[in-house]
Amino acid sequence: MSTLSTSEPTVVAPATPAGHKRRFNRHHFVGRIIILLAILLTLFPLYWMLRTALSNNRALASNASSFLPADFTLGPFKRVLGLGTVEEAQAEGGSGAALNFWLYLKNSLIVSIAITVGQVFFSAMAAYAFARLHWPGRDKVFGLFLTALMVPPIFTMLPNFVLMKDLGLLNTYSAIILPFFFMTPFAVFFLRQFFLGVNREIEEAARIDGAGHFRIFFRIILPMSAAPITTLALLTFITAWNEYFWPLLVGTEENVRVLTVALGVFRTQTPQGAPDWAGLMAAALIAAIPIVILFILLGKRVVNSIGFTGVK
Amino acid sequence: MSTVPDVARPSAGKKSKARPSRRSSFGELGPALVFIAPATLGFAVFFLWPTIRGLYLSFTDYSLFGSPTFTGLDNYRQLVQDEVFWNALKVTVEYVVINIGLQTIIALALANLMYRVTKSAFVRGALMLPYLIANVVVALVWLWMLDFQIGIVNQMLEWVGIDKVAWLGSEEWAIPSIAFINVWRHVGYTALLIFAGLQTIPATIYEAAAVDGSSEWRTFWRITMPLLRPVMVLVLVLTIIGSFQIFDTVAVTTKGGPVNASRVLQYYIYEQAFGRSHFGYGAALSAVLFLILAGVAFAQLKLLRAGESDLA
Amino acid sequence: MKPTFRAAAGAAVLAVTLAACGGGSSSEGGGGDAGQPEGQITYWLWEAAQLQAYQSCQKAFEAKNPKIKVKIEQYGWDDYWSKLTTGFVSGTAPDVFTDHLAKYPEFANKGQLEPLDKYIERDKVPTNIYQPGLADLWVTEDKKRYGLPKDWDTIAIFYNKKMVKDAGISEQQLQNLTWNPKDGGTYEKVIARLTVDKNGKHGDEAGFDKNNVKVYGLGLESSGGNNAGQGQWSMYAASNGWQATNKNPWGTQYNYDDPKVQETIAWWKGLIDKGYMNKLETTVGVTPDTQMGAGKFALSTNGDWTISAYYGQKGVDIGTAPTPIGPTGKRASMFNGLADSIFVGSKKKEAAWQWVKFLASPECQNLVGEKGVVFPATPEGTDIAAKKFAEKGVDVDAFTIHVKDKTTFLFPITDHAADIGAIMQPAMDAVMSGKAPVSSLTQANSQVNALFGS
Repeated sequence: MSTLSTSEPTVVAPATPAGHKRRFNRHHFVGRIIILLAILLTLFPLYWMLRTALSNNRALASNASSFLPADFTLGPFKRVLGLGTVEEAQAEGGSGAALNFWLYLKNSLIVSIAITVGQVFFSAMAAYAFARLHWPGRDKVFGLFLTALMVPPIFTMLPNFVLMKDLGLLNTYSAIILPFFFMTPFAVFFLRQFFLGVNREIEEAARIDGAGHFRIFFRIILPMSAAPITTLALLTFITAWNEYFWPLLVGTEENVRVLTVALGVFRTQTPQGAPDWAGLMAAALIAAIPIVILFILLGKRVVNSIGFTGVK
Repeated sequence: MSTVPDVARPSAGKKSKARPSRRSSFGELGPALVFIAPATLGFAVFFLWPTIRGLYLSFTDYSLFGSPTFTGLDNYRQLVQDEVFWNALKVTVEYVVINIGLQTIIALALANLMYRVTKSAFVRGALMLPYLIANVVVALVWLWMLDFQIGIVNQMLEWVGIDKVAWLGSEEWAIPSIAFINVWRHVGYTALLIFAGLQTIPATIYEAAAVDGSSEWRTFWRITMPLLRPVMVLVLVLTIIGSFQIFDTVAVTTKGGPVNASRVLQYYIYEQAFGRSHFGYGAALSAVLFLILAGVAFAQLKLLRAGESDLA
Repeated sequence: MKPTFRAAAGAAVLAVTLAACGGGSSSEGGGGDAGQPEGQITYWLWEAAQLQAYQSCQKAFEAKNPKIKVKIEQYGWDDYWSKLTTGFVSGTAPDVFTDHLAKYPEFANKGQLEPLDKYIERDKVPTNIYQPGLADLWVTEDKKRYGLPKDWDTIAIFYNKKMVKDAGISEQQLQNLTWNPKDGGTYEKVIARLTVDKNGKHGDEAGFDKNNVKVYGLGLESSGGNNAGQGQWSMYAASNGWQATNKNPWGTQYNYDDPKVQETIAWWKGLIDKGYMNKLETTVGVTPDTQMGAGKFALSTNGDWTISAYYGQKGVDIGTAPTPIGPTGKRASMFNGLADSIFVGSKKKEAAWQWVKFLASPECQNLVGEKGVVFPATPEGTDIAAKKFAEKGVDVDAFTIHVKDKTTFLFPITDHAADIGAIMQPAMDAVMSGKAPVSSLTQANSQVNALFGS
């Protein structure tokens, strides 16, 4: 039975007769063109965001077809970071509300890290039970957990809010974190699938040696699943970081306000009004930076080998 | 053995693999309960209870203020006769087909190309970038870029002599444009998931196929796709469920218009429940959406024979 | 990887500990007895541009009432109502909040607002110091008052000064436009004149290509279905003698089947057919002030809350003109106004009332006028604001003329506002996009009236 390795697969071009080789290169060429187009299409709107973020709101309309920033200015970035004065902000069409950027960044970090660690850990535990342990009703309960994917958001919003209020947790980090802290159906589903693929031989060996379930979970399963767990952690972090509506409901006090809520000040404020486009784009780009950093740090592990570890 | 099929299990075919004979069914119940305890707590409190309460409210007349009055099946009767509901259903299905169709095909193509043509981490990172930007901001960026008069997309069309298109404002293009915006954001991330699945296919199989003289295209259809099935099921189940729940983009751009051309289910539900204070009716609509999603997921899992993998 | 795992676990413990220790207290303010005017109260508003104005009121108020602290919170329009509703349901709504004529009937009906009558009577607060008509808007059919006026707004025409000059249209003409639903009066002539196609031909010249328009004489931003055409078409319909409801406030029957409004909408739609106004499908995207800034519209009708958006556009010089005089011989503009309401579940009603009283007082309204961002409800406040606008180079006569000449009409205040909007918006969209004839408004009207039962 073929085993699967963690290392990068070697380039799949097998040795071929000369005729095949020429056709292969043409495919490669077309493939490269397609990838290039995909990259262009992906990056162009991001460039557009950058261009707008370096523009003066008031000049955006009259420079609508220019690829360069309209009336170049660093004002939007200053607005986002809470530097610059109210007058400067309003002169460029910004709202001039004061922003305590680093505080909100800290709050976002605390909340996102807590959610990520909690969710990944507890979901991993549950995924292990669904994937590796045998107990009555296992698959039915798993199916039940999966239905949480389909729960309509309007069902959960109010009861969760009232619960937080009744627990006296409004405007605390806990309120923002709790609904996401224990599990999401995606996390459990995702990890359960990968745990199913973990090679059984090592596990069996450990069991024969008398290791208990917890030992096996912590010492064998988790380390062997480092790649999918890292991937899930990254995806969970991204989702937690970009969460807007729930923190808006339960965490508006300055000291627990997260970045997305704080940066909501750049969105449309009045009916039929326009957002502070430049400020909003600058805000989105800055808010994405921590995730990009995380992605660079963890990236290799994530994209290279979300495969299945095993014994060679 | 399982009612919910095991997905992405490369060695799933090996039912015959040596394994200790059946452990007692109840033997692992104890540890299992411990492992799923935290996740179950989260599930019960934040998903299950609100859903049960929501389902109860679907049988009532409830305006959010004051108490619900029981009205039995009235909401459901109203639903059946509600033209806007049936339109919403049709529009949502249209959206899902376009969105998932486009996204899956492009993601498959990109994943394969990344596997065969380029190993660059830059490519993988670049394709992932849109996912790091919050949904709402992505929608706003495209709202500007797709503006009829001054959006850059129409400007570029004019430069090459094509007439401007009312991307988000016309009945024919509203849903496809919204689908495209979401594809833009999600295709990179989907491609990476598929890419991970591709890496579970042993290189030896491709080598064997090449030796047998199989063309690229043939290899793809006869070998790659069937072996990818478990991963594709995971991806499709998750993306289709997510797609049916589209809301943010519509709320930011078309708000259901023109007329009702983009009034998708989730948006209609939100309008009824919160905008128009008919929470009971909104709950009934949500219950129907929930059932549809459960049905779709079930059908997918059965149709795609997710329980098996053709490896080994 | 083990070290990383440990590091991650450490981070989690740290984060959770911080979370447990840190964070604030619950959102309900501390201290104070409901009956005593003391403690901290929360005040919500959505208009970011007015934040500073109300902060100056807050300073003045706290100086006079050292025992009361006002915490002002601003949320954007979209989030404001969801948060408020959630607050009502859970009992955590702010003590005082800016209220809107379209929303308050429902809140009042469902008992979420505190009636102010007993406070007004006790403290002998005058309700006749505001621009005529504003105060009564906040009294429900059972004669209870739920708000005191804070500001008002009207609609006018914003125009591109250069385009107007180049087209040879005089200021005099613009300030005295006439209109009728048959041939559009001088208004349509001006619009046609200002429309320019890609070949430079104006809308009133031979050879004008309506399929290749470069600049639209009049800009369309929405079909105005869900707000009774406030900034879109209500001024034409009203100057044609149309009344939206059988009585206002608290009508129980809408009149979208009236020929007066249907011929108005038919004329308005006709502008699109002639190529003088952009198609409805082109309106999803940026706001009309941006379109004007980009030189796509010559004229645009909108409310005074958008003044800074239009005047702020770099590269265009904007002016204002009043809405045209209609067949009734008079102009018209919808008159809307905001007020501040008290949440019925507030635990500091006395303190909240003191704040509301101050907000409604000439002192605060003058302070707000000083900032030149909105028209306060008192005549004195209005004058101060008008002067401030003028100093900024904005001519607001086009807005204040309706108050002076008494040509305002009220926003239709009825029950079921949200449902009515949900019916009329698609109906208007259908008419303006050509999918349905104007007469389809009659059917929509029946649906609307059915909401009121019989």
